[in-house]
Amino acid sequence: MKTTLITGVSRGLGAEIAEQVINKNDAFVIGISRTFSDEVKCLAEKYPDNFMHIAFDLSDYENLKNIYWNTLKKIGQIESVIHNAAYAYDDLVSNANIQTLEYMYKVNVLSPIILTKYSIRDMLLNNIKGSIVFVTSISAHKGFKGLSMYASTKGALEAFSKNVAKEWGAKGIRSNCVCPGFMETEMSSNISSEMKMKIFNRTSLKKATDIKSVASSVAFLTSDESNSITGQTIIVDCGTI
Amino acid sequence: METKIIDILNSILLSKNKEIITDLEEKVSLRNDLGFDSLDLATLSVRIEDEFGIDIFEEKIIDKISELLTILHNNEEFLGRSK
Repeated sequence: MKTTLITGVSRGLGAEIAEQVINKNDAFVIGISRTFSDEVKCLAEKYPDNFMHIAFDLSDYENLKNIYWNTLKKIGQIESVIHNAAYAYDDLVSNANIQTLEYMYKVNVLSPIILTKYSIRDMLLNNIKGSIVFVTSISAHKGFKGLSMYASTKGALEAFSKNVAKEWGAKGIRSNCVCPGFMETEMSSNISSEMKMKIFNRTSLKKATDIKSVASSVAFLTSDESNSITGQTIIVDCGTI
Repeated sequence: METKIIDILNSILLSKNKEIITDLEEKVSLRNDLGFDSLDLATLSVRIEDEFGIDIFEEKIIDKISELLTILHNNEEFLGRSK
């Protein structure tokens, strides 16, 4: 059974990715999130042999080394990592608060980089041709008012992923991004319905991005079916124009 | 300790179809004499860390066998485990 790490499993998209990765790849999923939510409880009950949860706040990225050595390394060889956790700081840059900005960069950028470090070290140690997937955002490609700071973290991940793909391709390690458009998730719940309609009307399909469609793209990139794909970003956004 | 380091170095040399070594010469350069590239050095560092619990490149990138041995000897964690 292939071990797959997934961050941010406590809510909509992360939980859906975990379920699809288990079903598509018969993977053993280690879900990392701050809280043991109802979604996590549901996954643990539904897939007792394929899922375990680690409670960890990803802003505490300096402790990822301990998590790796004391927990992850003892569970099994890491075959895939899905960086899904994110903190959304929605405000105009003229209101930028350094503390909030730093917190967002810890969760959205520093923690994925450090977790990638330990995952790649584990893959090297065990000669695993692993797969790394970063969930980014359409805001890194198209402009949205209030998302400049959040978009900057997702743009950083896309640049990081492309270069990780180049660095580790010779070892068979792949790195890709799935870039979703606006989904109906808890993260976007504070956006007004008027604003949502405006956003959805910017898409070719005139609707919200389907969470299942995003999750299945992520599951595909961690499966053997995608073994010739690396350094890419799959945009799953209903065609933002 | 030295036997384990030689084994690790030889596993990388064998993967590159290069001649193996039989002893550790302090003046030997990992890059210039053994022909290790950056990915070989990364593999070396994870195997050393797995064996001795020390990330040899955590502070700086080293190149000579003498530097490798110094780090391992100086590391308290290693000394504790080797007792």
